[in-house]
Amino acid sequence: MTVSNRLRTALSFSGPFVIFAALWQAASAWLAPDPTMFPGLGAIAYALVRLSASPELWSNLGISLARNYLGLALAIVAGVSLGSCMARYPIANGFFSPLVGATYSLPKTALIPLLLLWLGVGSTTDTTAVFLSCLLPIVVHSYHGAKDTPRVLLWSAAALGTPDRALLPRVMLPSSLPQIVTGTRIALGFSYVVTIAAEMIASKSGIGKLIFVYGGSGAYDYLFATILVIIVVAYLVDQAYVRLTATLLRWHHWE
Amino acid sequence: MKVIRYVVRVLLYFYPLVLLAIFWEFIARSGLVRPLFLPPLSALPETAEHLYREGALLAPLAISLYRAFAGLALALLIGSVVGIAMSRSRALRWFAEPLVAVAFPAPKLAFLPVFVLWFGLGHLTKILLVAFSCVFPIIIGFYNAANAVSPVLIWSAQSMGASELNILRRVLLPACVPALFATIRINLPVALIITFTAEMIVGGKGLGDDLTYAQRMFDTPTVYVYILVMLAIGLLVDNVILWTRRRVLGWYEENEPGDRV
Amino acid sequence: MTPPKILISSLSKRYGATSREVLALEAVDLSVSEGEFVTIVGPSGCGKSTLLYILGGFLKGTGTVAIDGRAVDRPGLDRGIVFQEYALFPWLTVKDNIGYGLQTQNIARSEREDIVHRYIELIGLRGFEQRFPRELSGGMKQRVALARTLACEPEILLLDEPFGALDAQTREIMQDELLRLWRKTRKTVLMVTHDVTEAVYLSTRVCVMSQRPGRIVREFSIDLDRSASREEIVLSAAFERARNEVWILVRAQVVSGTGVATAT
Repeated sequence: MTVSNRLRTALSFSGPFVIFAALWQAASAWLAPDPTMFPGLGAIAYALVRLSASPELWSNLGISLARNYLGLALAIVAGVSLGSCMARYPIANGFFSPLVGATYSLPKTALIPLLLLWLGVGSTTDTTAVFLSCLLPIVVHSYHGAKDTPRVLLWSAAALGTPDRALLPRVMLPSSLPQIVTGTRIALGFSYVVTIAAEMIASKSGIGKLIFVYGGSGAYDYLFATILVIIVVAYLVDQAYVRLTATLLRWHHWE
Repeated sequence: MKVIRYVVRVLLYFYPLVLLAIFWEFIARSGLVRPLFLPPLSALPETAEHLYREGALLAPLAISLYRAFAGLALALLIGSVVGIAMSRSRALRWFAEPLVAVAFPAPKLAFLPVFVLWFGLGHLTKILLVAFSCVFPIIIGFYNAANAVSPVLIWSAQSMGASELNILRRVLLPACVPALFATIRINLPVALIITFTAEMIVGGKGLGDDLTYAQRMFDTPTVYVYILVMLAIGLLVDNVILWTRRRVLGWYEENEPGDRV
Repeated sequence: MTPPKILISSLSKRYGATSREVLALEAVDLSVSEGEFVTIVGPSGCGKSTLLYILGGFLKGTGTVAIDGRAVDRPGLDRGIVFQEYALFPWLTVKDNIGYGLQTQNIARSEREDIVHRYIELIGLRGFEQRFPRELSGGMKQRVALARTLACEPEILLLDEPFGALDAQTREIMQDELLRLWRKTRKTVLMVTHDVTEAVYLSTRVCVMSQRPGRIVREFSIDLDRSASREEIVLSAAFERARNEVWILVRAQVVSGTGVATAT
């Protein structure tokens, strides 16, 4: 894409946000007699600048993201292993499938109070909550991806000398990569909700706790500024994820 | 006799759960784990009955369900209109697409303190937060469904003199009915999660609020009962949706990623 | 006396639970000697592919299935298979697909690269080594599939309607390609197809299978001068005679299932 094309796309993309910001400012000026309940753009921008300078925002953000991605990473490892084993070995499927079906409908954030009872307040609880919440979507997607492996691929691999135990890692896993990538993206979006929930319910640190405190103490401009940061981070990470996985999946024939 | 055979078959299929239940009971009773962490499974029905008798089971559940369904309904109303309109209007598409794209991956729960600020600690906050959380995937769902309608269909309707409203009603809407079930099925769990979670964080009645209260009082059996109730509701609701879909769309057979293994 | 390369005796195959069983094959007998090119033709669903899959070791039936006197019970490098759907590994490049079987045998990289290079030249796909299957046409994919199988030098080549997914022109080109490769390597080939012309053109022997449950109804020895050009062969009287004979019998099998009357 040429430079002018890129510029045009960027402008086109940001246009709606400019309009939205203008609407916000108008609403702030008109709706709220008490400006603190609906801070104007200036106040939010000012708060944003002050936050960026202080370590408070970044250290809490860092802690939250660390917990979040650790839980997610563990969920990916466990989920892909479990899901693909369930597809490959009927015994595993027979054992885990009812468990998966039974727990799928449970709102995983409901486990947070239970985890608090068991593990107390701290990073372990938060990471475990993310792990448990992200596990199931990844298991289901890995399972379906592995199960959908065309049998002629498995047969060809066997006829080309692949031992039985290697069929899962060498054929089923690569074949299910598109599904795994989709499932992980869903889990990624959901992980943030769990982290914030856990931090808001009971935590000593983290971005969720931060906005909870800001809200409770009336620092609304800081509150909105932090939320803005969260939105931007979530979007950028999602975009990075899509781009990275596109390379990973460059062989895939999209229907 | 046939009933017994059916029950046995069900038990055999769910044997891991049966095993788990037995294991739980054994571990709880053996004294290896303190009852604070793991009360015996057999103690739970008693607790449940006690809660029910006190009105601490159905009332908060009803409140939470009301909020979740109201929020979802609101999201469906707004989301379907916006999604379908987006497929027909280029201007709207230009405006909405970037906003939806950026809002989609963001954790809408982060807005909870904002909603509390604006709407208080009661029903409205939860309903609006649920609506806010569900509206974006719904917009995308209906937008895709409306787009998938063959343009040839729309053109032939137009050439027969159909007004924009008529096209909407008789071509686009029916085409979106399968999408309706898909979005409901995906978003109802989200609605429930957000409702329970918001209640857990800020209180204001509802099952989530009572759950956190029980946890703070170290009333572990109650905590387990509430969790199991939430699980049961999730399962029940999902099955009702599937049953309804089968009745309404008997011809429609698609295995979605949300389907259980 | 040495046992035939492939010996199938009284092979039967059942599918499904006892209440809704389907008998795919019934007491099939077939013997193939080394270096033969045998094709099985028959109506759709008659079980010819099933026979191939059992021989490949992917399915199990009752009866005798032996290669060089030894029973077959699992897939192996001695029996290469090419499927109609190409079955290329979509996440591997052309080069890596062809080299796949060599890698499982732990052949050293330099030797592996030599062999792969040789086959790429053989199938005429120089310059496409780094492409992914999704970037290839049907004919190219099938060539890669053939090369992948041949690179492991299996003793037996099993072909399951290999050209069924290709258009008519590409199919003819691929048939000649296959013939060329076969005459060079003299493998034992067992092919399955529903295209009678293809069967007669390529094989030394054609076996006609009945409707389901499949049995071998009759075998035809095909004796054509294959050093001649395609045009000469296809337009010769001997070819036409053989093709007609086989076609009439296959047609009878097809029709016997549908109840349509034939002229006898």
